[in-house]
Amino acid sequence: MKKKQLRWLLPLVALPILWLLYWGMGRDTYVLPSPMAGLEAPEFHLVGFDGDTLSLADLRGRVVILNFWASWCIPCRTEHPVLVQTERTWDDSEVVLLGVVYQDSRANAERFLAQYGGEWTHVLDPSQRTAIDYGVYGVPETFFIGRDGHISHKKVGPVTWDLVRYQVDSLLAVPVSSANTGSVGGTP
Amino acid sequence: MSAMRRWLPITLVLAFSFPATAVSQEGETAPGTAAAQETEAPQTVEDDRSALTDPAEADLDARAAEVAGGLRCPVCRNQSILESNADLSREMQRVVRERLAAGETPEEVEAYFVSRYGEWILLKPQARGINLVVYALPVIVLLLGFLLARNRLRKWASAGAVETSAGATGSGSIGVEDEEWLRDALRES
Repeated sequence: MKKKQLRWLLPLVALPILWLLYWGMGRDTYVLPSPMAGLEAPEFHLVGFDGDTLSLADLRGRVVILNFWASWCIPCRTEHPVLVQTERTWDDSEVVLLGVVYQDSRANAERFLAQYGGEWTHVLDPSQRTAIDYGVYGVPETFFIGRDGHISHKKVGPVTWDLVRYQVDSLLAVPVSSANTGSVGGTP
Repeated sequence: MSAMRRWLPITLVLAFSFPATAVSQEGETAPGTAAAQETEAPQTVEDDRSALTDPAEADLDARAAEVAGGLRCPVCRNQSILESNADLSREMQRVVRERLAAGETPEEVEAYFVSRYGEWILLKPQARGINLVVYALPVIVLLLGFLLARNRLRKWASAGAVETSAGATGSGSIGVEDEEWLRDALRES
Protein backbone atom coordinates (compact mmCIF):
# COMPACT_ATOMS: atom_id res chain seq x y z
CA MET A 1 0.00 0.00 0.00
CA LYS A 2 2.65 2.49 1.08
CA LYS A 3 5.10 1.42 -1.60
CA LYS A 4 2.51 1.70 -4.34
CA GLN A 5 1.92 5.32 -3.44
CA LEU A 6 5.61 6.10 -3.47
CA ARG A 7 6.00 4.54 -6.89
CA TRP A 8 4.29 7.44 -8.68
CA LEU A 9 5.45 10.05 -6.22
CA LEU A 10 9.12 9.43 -6.89
CA PRO A 11 9.18 10.31 -10.60
CA LEU A 12 6.77 13.14 -9.94
CA VAL A 13 9.28 14.74 -7.61
CA ALA A 14 12.48 13.61 -9.31
CA LEU A 15 11.65 14.50 -12.90
CA PRO A 16 11.08 18.24 -12.41
CA ILE A 17 14.26 18.47 -10.33
CA LEU A 18 16.27 16.62 -12.97
CA TRP A 19 14.78 18.80 -15.68
CA LEU A 20 15.67 21.92 -13.68
CA LEU A 21 19.25 20.70 -13.24
CA TYR A 22 19.56 19.90 -16.93
CA TRP A 23 18.14 23.30 -17.91
CA GLY A 24 20.33 25.11 -15.41
CA MET A 25 23.54 23.46 -16.56
CA GLY A 26 22.98 24.31 -20.19
CA ARG A 27 22.50 27.97 -19.39
CA ASP A 28 24.97 30.78 -18.92
CA THR A 29 23.66 32.68 -15.92
CA TYR A 30 25.64 35.74 -16.91
CA VAL A 31 23.71 36.11 -20.15
CA LEU A 32 20.47 37.90 -19.52
CA PRO A 33 17.74 38.06 -22.13
CA SER A 34 17.32 41.61 -23.37
CA PRO A 35 13.86 42.93 -24.08
CA MET A 36 15.34 45.59 -26.36
CA ALA A 37 15.75 43.57 -29.56
CA GLY A 38 13.06 44.49 -32.07
CA LEU A 39 12.21 47.73 -30.31
CA GLU A 40 12.88 51.22 -31.48
CA ALA A 41 16.26 52.39 -30.22
CA PRO A 42 15.89 55.10 -27.55
CA GLU A 43 16.82 58.58 -28.73
CA PHE A 44 19.83 60.28 -27.19
CA HIS A 45 21.60 63.63 -27.40
CA LEU A 46 25.21 63.16 -26.35
CA VAL A 47 28.24 65.38 -26.63
CA GLY A 48 31.22 64.08 -28.56
CA PHE A 49 34.91 64.72 -27.99
CA ASP A 50 34.72 67.65 -30.42
CA GLY A 51 31.99 69.30 -28.34
CA ASP A 52 29.23 68.71 -30.88
CA THR A 53 25.97 67.09 -29.79
CA LEU A 54 25.02 63.96 -31.65
CA SER A 55 21.54 62.44 -31.77
CA LEU A 56 20.39 59.06 -33.00
CA ALA A 57 17.94 60.85 -35.29
CA ASP A 58 20.92 62.33 -37.16
CA LEU A 59 21.92 58.80 -38.14
CA ARG A 60 18.51 57.66 -39.38
CA GLY A 61 18.73 55.84 -42.70
CA ARG A 62 22.09 54.31 -41.84
CA VAL A 63 22.93 51.14 -39.97
CA VAL A 64 24.22 52.10 -36.52
CA ILE A 65 26.50 50.06 -34.30
CA LEU A 66 26.25 51.55 -30.83
CA ASN A 67 29.13 50.38 -28.67
CA PHE A 68 29.20 51.12 -24.93
CA TRP A 69 32.78 50.89 -23.71
CA ALA A 70 35.34 52.21 -21.23
CA SER A 71 39.11 52.43 -21.13
CA TRP A 72 39.20 50.51 -17.84
CA CYS A 73 37.28 47.62 -19.35
CA ILE A 74 39.50 44.69 -20.25
CA PRO A 75 37.07 42.88 -22.64
CA CYS A 76 36.82 46.21 -24.53
CA ARG A 77 40.46 45.78 -25.46
CA THR A 78 39.69 42.32 -26.76
CA GLU A 79 36.98 43.55 -29.05
CA HIS A 80 38.72 46.72 -30.15
CA PRO A 81 40.47 45.18 -33.21
CA VAL A 82 37.06 43.91 -34.38
CA LEU A 83 35.69 47.44 -34.19
CA VAL A 84 38.71 48.79 -36.07
CA GLN A 85 38.02 46.25 -38.79
CA THR A 86 34.33 47.19 -38.76
CA GLU A 87 35.20 50.82 -39.34
CA ARG A 88 37.47 49.90 -42.26
CA THR A 89 35.02 47.52 -43.90
CA TRP A 90 31.96 49.70 -44.38
CA ASP A 91 31.60 53.26 -45.54
CA ASP A 92 30.36 55.83 -43.05
CA SER A 93 27.41 56.64 -45.29
CA GLU A 94 26.16 53.05 -44.91
CA VAL A 95 27.27 51.89 -41.49
CA VAL A 96 28.05 54.19 -38.56
CA LEU A 97 30.09 52.95 -35.66
CA LEU A 98 29.47 55.06 -32.58
CA GLY A 99 31.24 54.60 -29.27
CA VAL A 100 29.55 55.64 -26.03
CA VAL A 101 32.07 56.18 -23.25
CA TYR A 102 30.65 54.64 -20.10
CA GLN A 103 31.74 55.63 -16.57
CA ASP A 104 34.99 57.00 -17.85
CA SER A 105 36.63 60.34 -18.51
CA ARG A 106 37.28 61.80 -21.92
CA ALA A 107 41.02 61.96 -21.20
CA ASN A 108 41.21 58.25 -20.41
CA ALA A 109 39.13 57.35 -23.46
CA GLU A 110 41.33 59.44 -25.73
CA ARG A 111 44.47 57.89 -24.30
CA PHE A 112 43.02 54.43 -24.94
CA LEU A 113 42.20 55.34 -28.55
CA ALA A 114 45.63 56.85 -29.10
CA GLN A 115 47.13 53.57 -28.01
CA TYR A 116 44.81 51.11 -29.77
CA GLY A 117 43.72 53.12 -32.80
CA GLY A 118 40.33 53.77 -34.35
CA GLU A 119 38.94 56.86 -36.00
CA TRP A 120 35.24 56.50 -35.39
CA THR A 121 33.13 58.94 -33.40
CA HIS A 122 32.70 58.72 -29.64
CA VAL A 123 30.26 60.45 -27.35
CA LEU A 124 30.25 60.86 -23.58
CA ASP A 125 27.41 59.77 -21.30
CA PRO A 126 28.40 61.38 -17.98
CA SER A 127 24.98 61.00 -16.38
CA GLN A 128 24.71 57.38 -17.58
CA ARG A 129 21.15 58.17 -18.61
CA THR A 130 21.65 56.79 -22.11
CA ALA A 131 23.16 53.62 -20.67
CA ILE A 132 20.11 53.19 -18.42
CA ASP A 133 17.82 53.94 -21.34
CA TYR A 134 19.47 51.11 -23.26
CA GLY A 135 19.41 48.71 -20.31
CA VAL A 136 23.19 48.58 -20.10
CA TYR A 137 24.58 46.95 -17.00
CA GLY A 138 28.20 46.53 -17.97
CA VAL A 139 30.71 47.13 -20.71
CA PRO A 140 31.17 46.26 -23.45
CA GLU A 141 27.63 46.14 -24.75
CA THR A 142 26.86 46.61 -28.42
CA PHE A 143 23.56 47.41 -30.12
CA PHE A 144 22.92 46.83 -33.81
CA ILE A 145 20.39 49.34 -35.07
CA GLY A 146 18.77 49.17 -38.50
CA ARG A 147 18.11 51.99 -40.94
CA ASP A 148 14.62 52.32 -39.50
CA GLY A 149 16.01 52.95 -36.01
CA HIS A 150 14.99 49.58 -34.59
CA ILE A 151 17.36 47.45 -32.54
CA SER A 152 17.98 44.13 -34.22
CA HIS A 153 20.42 42.67 -31.75
CA LYS A 154 22.14 43.37 -28.47
CA LYS A 155 25.48 41.81 -27.68
CA VAL A 156 26.68 41.67 -24.09
CA GLY A 157 30.42 41.20 -23.90
CA PRO A 158 33.01 41.57 -26.64
CA VAL A 159 31.75 41.33 -30.21
CA THR A 160 33.34 38.97 -32.68
CA TRP A 161 33.95 39.74 -36.32
CA ASP A 162 31.52 36.98 -37.35
CA LEU A 163 28.76 38.53 -35.29
CA VAL A 164 29.36 42.05 -36.59
CA ARG A 165 29.50 40.90 -40.22
CA TYR A 166 26.36 38.80 -39.86
CA GLN A 167 24.40 41.55 -38.12
CA VAL A 168 25.48 44.35 -40.45
CA ASP A 169 25.01 42.26 -43.60
CA SER A 170 21.47 41.29 -42.61
CA LEU A 171 20.64 44.89 -41.71
CA LEU A 172 22.05 46.14 -45.01
CA ALA A 173 20.10 43.43 -46.86
CA VAL A 174 16.85 45.03 -45.79
CA PRO A 175 15.75 47.36 -48.61
CA VAL A 176 15.60 50.96 -47.50
CA SER A 177 11.90 51.21 -48.41
CA SER A 178 10.88 48.22 -46.31
CA ALA A 179 13.25 49.02 -43.49
CA ASN A 180 10.35 49.93 -41.25
CA THR A 181 8.88 46.42 -41.24
CA GLY A 182 10.56 45.59 -37.99
CA SER A 183 13.22 43.28 -36.63
CA VAL A 184 15.71 41.36 -38.67
CA GLY A 185 18.63 39.19 -37.87
CA GLY A 186 19.30 37.31 -34.69
CA THR A 187 22.24 35.33 -33.47
CA PRO A 188 24.36 33.64 -36.13
CA MET B 1 22.49 43.03 12.88
CA SER B 2 20.53 45.44 10.72
CA ALA B 3 23.22 48.06 11.15
CA MET B 4 25.78 45.57 9.97
CA ARG B 5 23.65 44.69 6.97
CA ARG B 6 23.43 48.32 6.07
CA TRP B 7 27.14 49.03 6.38
CA LEU B 8 28.55 45.84 4.93
CA PRO B 9 27.77 46.65 1.27
CA ILE B 10 29.05 50.20 1.67
CA THR B 11 32.30 49.02 3.19
CA LEU B 12 32.68 46.42 0.46
CA VAL B 13 31.98 48.94 -2.29
CA LEU B 14 34.47 51.36 -0.77
CA ALA B 15 37.05 48.64 -0.33
CA PHE B 16 36.75 47.58 -3.95
CA SER B 17 36.28 50.97 -5.54
CA PHE B 18 39.49 52.51 -4.24
CA PRO B 19 41.84 50.27 -6.18
CA ALA B 20 39.49 50.55 -9.18
CA THR B 21 39.60 54.34 -9.24
CA ALA B 22 43.32 54.21 -8.72
CA VAL B 23 43.61 52.10 -11.86
CA SER B 24 41.09 53.96 -13.99
CA GLN B 25 42.39 57.37 -13.02
CA GLU B 26 45.91 56.25 -13.72
CA GLY B 27 48.04 59.17 -14.81
CA GLU B 28 45.34 61.70 -14.12
CA THR B 29 46.06 64.48 -11.66
CA ALA B 30 44.94 63.86 -8.10
CA PRO B 31 43.15 67.25 -7.74
CA GLY B 32 40.79 66.19 -10.55
CA THR B 33 39.51 63.20 -8.63
CA ALA B 34 39.23 65.16 -5.40
CA ALA B 35 37.15 67.82 -7.16
CA ALA B 36 34.88 65.19 -8.64
CA GLN B 37 34.20 63.76 -5.21
CA GLU B 38 33.60 67.14 -3.71
CA THR B 39 31.01 68.11 -6.28
CA GLU B 40 29.12 64.88 -5.72
CA ALA B 41 29.08 64.82 -1.94
CA PRO B 42 27.23 68.10 -1.25
CA GLN B 43 24.57 67.11 -3.76
CA THR B 44 23.42 64.20 -1.64
CA VAL B 45 23.59 66.24 1.53
CA GLU B 46 21.41 68.87 -0.04
CA ASP B 47 18.92 66.23 -1.11
CA ASP B 48 18.71 64.99 2.46
CA ARG B 49 18.22 68.49 3.83
CA SER B 50 15.36 69.30 1.50
CA ALA B 51 13.77 65.99 2.44
CA LEU B 52 13.92 66.96 6.10
CA THR B 53 12.29 70.35 5.64
CA ASP B 54 9.75 69.86 2.87
CA PRO B 55 7.02 67.25 3.54
CA ALA B 56 6.26 66.91 -0.19
CA GLU B 57 9.92 66.14 -0.86
CA ALA B 58 9.94 63.64 1.98
CA ASP B 59 6.87 61.95 0.52
CA LEU B 60 8.52 61.77 -2.90
CA ASP B 61 11.65 60.34 -1.32
CA ALA B 62 9.62 57.70 0.47
CA ARG B 63 7.83 56.70 -2.72
CA ALA B 64 11.09 56.68 -4.67
CA ALA B 65 12.69 54.52 -1.99
CA GLU B 66 9.80 52.07 -2.21
CA VAL B 67 10.19 51.67 -5.97
CA ALA B 68 14.00 51.62 -5.78
CA GLY B 69 13.83 48.92 -3.11
CA GLY B 70 12.17 46.62 -5.61
CA LEU B 71 14.59 47.20 -8.46
CA ARG B 72 17.66 45.06 -8.84
CA CYS B 73 21.04 46.74 -9.06
CA PRO B 74 22.39 45.72 -12.49
CA VAL B 75 26.02 45.61 -11.40
CA CYS B 76 25.54 43.84 -8.08
CA ARG B 77 24.15 40.46 -7.21
CA ASN B 78 20.83 40.31 -5.41
CA GLN B 79 20.88 43.85 -4.13
CA SER B 80 18.36 46.59 -4.79
CA ILE B 81 19.37 49.93 -6.27
CA LEU B 82 18.27 51.46 -2.96
CA GLU B 83 20.84 49.47 -0.99
CA SER B 84 23.57 49.69 -3.58
CA ASN B 85 26.14 52.45 -3.68
CA ALA B 86 27.24 51.74 -7.24
CA ASP B 87 27.29 54.75 -9.57
CA LEU B 88 24.74 53.17 -11.88
CA SER B 89 22.38 52.37 -9.01
CA ARG B 90 22.52 55.90 -7.69
CA GLU B 91 21.76 57.28 -11.12
CA MET B 92 18.88 54.83 -11.44
CA GLN B 93 17.55 56.04 -8.09
CA ARG B 94 17.59 59.55 -9.50
CA VAL B 95 15.70 58.34 -12.58
CA VAL B 96 13.08 56.75 -10.32
CA ARG B 97 12.71 59.95 -8.33
CA GLU B 98 12.47 62.16 -11.40
CA ARG B 99 9.88 59.95 -13.05
CA LEU B 100 7.75 59.89 -9.90
CA ALA B 101 8.10 63.67 -9.61
CA ALA B 102 6.95 63.96 -13.22
CA GLY B 103 3.71 62.26 -12.21
CA GLU B 104 4.34 58.66 -13.19
CA THR B 105 2.89 55.92 -11.03
CA PRO B 106 5.25 53.44 -9.33
CA GLU B 107 3.94 50.79 -11.76
CA GLU B 108 4.86 52.95 -14.74
CA VAL B 109 8.36 53.52 -13.39
CA GLU B 110 8.79 49.77 -12.89
CA ALA B 111 7.44 49.15 -16.38
CA TYR B 112 10.05 51.52 -17.80
CA PHE B 113 12.90 49.60 -16.19
CA VAL B 114 11.40 46.26 -17.20
CA SER B 115 11.17 47.50 -20.80
CA ARG B 116 14.89 48.30 -20.77
CA TYR B 117 16.42 45.63 -18.56
CA GLY B 118 13.84 42.88 -18.73
CA GLU B 119 11.84 41.38 -15.90
CA TRP B 120 15.12 40.42 -14.28
CA ILE B 121 15.36 43.98 -12.94
CA LEU B 122 12.46 43.30 -10.54
CA LEU B 123 13.65 41.68 -7.33
CA LYS B 124 10.19 40.19 -6.83
CA PRO B 125 8.90 38.23 -9.82
CA GLN B 126 5.54 39.34 -11.18
CA ALA B 127 2.63 37.02 -10.35
CA ARG B 128 1.67 36.01 -13.86
CA GLY B 129 2.56 33.47 -16.53
CA ILE B 130 5.14 30.84 -15.61
CA ASN B 131 6.01 32.86 -12.50
CA LEU B 132 2.71 31.80 -10.95
CA VAL B 133 4.40 28.46 -10.26
CA VAL B 134 6.62 30.21 -7.71
CA TYR B 135 3.60 31.59 -5.91
CA ALA B 136 1.29 28.58 -6.27
CA LEU B 137 3.70 25.73 -5.58
CA PRO B 138 4.15 26.31 -1.82
CA VAL B 139 0.38 26.48 -1.37
CA ILE B 140 -0.15 23.34 -3.46
CA VAL B 141 2.55 21.43 -1.60
CA LEU B 142 1.16 22.56 1.73
CA LEU B 143 -2.33 21.47 0.67
CA LEU B 144 -1.08 18.08 -0.56
CA GLY B 145 0.79 17.60 2.69
CA PHE B 146 -2.29 18.44 4.67
CA LEU B 147 -4.42 15.98 2.68
CA LEU B 148 -1.78 13.28 3.02
CA ALA B 149 -1.49 13.85 6.76
CA ARG B 150 -5.27 13.80 7.13
CA ASN B 151 -5.60 10.52 5.23
CA ARG B 152 -2.84 8.93 7.23
CA LEU B 153 -4.29 10.07 10.53
CA ARG B 154 -7.70 8.76 9.53
CA LYS B 155 -6.24 5.41 8.56
CA TRP B 156 -4.37 5.17 11.84
CA ALA B 157 -7.42 6.17 13.79
CA SER B 158 -9.58 3.57 12.06
CA ALA B 159 -6.85 0.95 12.49
CA GLY B 160 -6.80 1.73 16.19
CA ALA B 161 -10.58 1.41 16.32
CA VAL B 162 -10.43 -1.98 14.54
CA GLU B 163 -7.81 -3.18 16.96
CA THR B 164 -9.79 -2.26 20.03
CA SER B 165 -12.99 -3.81 18.68
CA ALA B 166 -11.56 -6.92 17.04
CA GLY B 167 -8.86 -7.56 19.57
CA ALA B 168 -5.28 -8.55 18.88
CA THR B 169 -6.08 -10.83 15.92
CA GLY B 170 -5.37 -9.23 12.53
CA SER B 171 -8.62 -8.15 10.96
CA GLY B 172 -7.41 -7.90 7.36
CA SER B 173 -7.49 -4.13 7.06
CA ILE B 174 -3.99 -3.95 8.46
CA GLY B 175 -1.01 -6.28 7.91
CA VAL B 176 0.42 -8.40 10.69
CA GLU B 177 3.72 -6.53 10.64
CA ASP B 178 2.03 -3.16 10.75
CA GLU B 179 -0.14 -4.32 13.56
CA GLU B 180 2.85 -5.41 15.59
CA TRP B 181 4.54 -2.09 14.94
CA LEU B 182 1.39 -0.26 15.93
CA ARG B 183 1.09 -2.25 19.12
CA ASP B 184 4.70 -1.43 20.03
CA ALA B 185 4.10 2.21 19.28
CA LEU B 186 1.00 2.31 21.41
CA ARG B 187 2.77 0.59 24.27
CA GLU B 188 5.57 3.14 24.14
CA SER B 189 3.26 6.10 24.17
